[in-house]
Amino acid sequence: MVSIVTGFIGLLVAAIIIVMMRRDTLHAQHGLGWIIVALCFALLGFSPEIIDHIAQKFGVAYPPVLALTLAIAVLVIKILLMDIERSRIEVRNQRLIQRMAMLEADLKKLEEIPPDTIESTE
Amino acid sequence: MILIPAFNEADVIADVLGEIRAACDFPVIVIDDASTDNTVAIAERAGATVIPLPVQLGAWGATQTGLRYALRNGYDTAITMDADGQHEAASLAALLEPINTGVADVVVGACTQRGSWLRHIAWKMMKQASGIRLEDITSGFRVYNRMAIRQLAGWRATLLDYQDIGVLLLLQSKGLSIVDVKVPMQPRRNGKSRVFHSWVMVVYYMCLTLTLGLSKRKFAHRYRSPYLLVL
Repeated sequence: MVSIVTGFIGLLVAAIIIVMMRRDTLHAQHGLGWIIVALCFALLGFSPEIIDHIAQKFGVAYPPVLALTLAIAVLVIKILLMDIERSRIEVRNQRLIQRMAMLEADLKKLEEIPPDTIESTE
Repeated sequence: MILIPAFNEADVIADVLGEIRAACDFPVIVIDDASTDNTVAIAERAGATVIPLPVQLGAWGATQTGLRYALRNGYDTAITMDADGQHEAASLAALLEPINTGVADVVVGACTQRGSWLRHIAWKMMKQASGIRLEDITSGFRVYNRMAIRQLAGWRATLLDYQDIGVLLLLQSKGLSIVDVKVPMQPRRNGKSRVFHSWVMVVYYMCLTLTLGLSKRKFAHRYRSPYLLVL
């Protein structure tokens, strides 16, 4: 019973992600990863034995620990990637702000020059 | 060209610009870091070119804007000064000399008499962490030559938050020589440092700076200022 509930939660999450992608709330490139996560969630929900088999193969005595460890590893990697991406966006954003301010200063200078003298200086 | 990052300096900027104008005839650029008072209007009236940042970027973000502007407009030397009147335009000749004679790529105006004992401990820690051998690493009174401007205008320098260790380490890693020249400095005319005004900020700043210093310091040998080697 529990496995059916958790499995359906996984499928529900996958469905919500697809709806969000259809509405452009979530960019497709992020959505893809999340759908995979949701499907894994559903798969493990419907048949938790999978983890038991894998744990046995790797000699992990208590299988849930393997599942949790893997989940935490995936989360840490994801968060690290997010921070790398955020640094990149911050740089772009800041340089854009600087460029805009410089152009504004240039524009102001141009406005101060009487229009008829601009052509002659070009 | 003289670059002055300013944030809410309406009370003092006119005097500071007046003193600079009286001492030299370099073009003066004020980079307004999204001030909420009339710093922009006052600076323009005093004859400076103003680059108005639409969003606050902090002191280094504003300074870098000025350096990018200097690079775009083909200037070979950029002088950075604080807007609060700490730096005297009379010291400019002494600061420019190592650049003009080609001895150094970057000159830092150093005044180690300023600041509390706490600030001196902070300086000591920062120097130890980064391996930089300069007297006054937080000083905003600096002269950069064209090579230094080019390095600092790049995107790598955009990631930095403050102009001290990160900037100096970047310049050092590019093989540029940095020297310090002792100059007198005035007390701030409008009170506060933008970093050293609250304890939370100081702790955050120190953690950030020490992390940066330790993570980017040179592995092999410690950097020695050529100025010291000459001595």
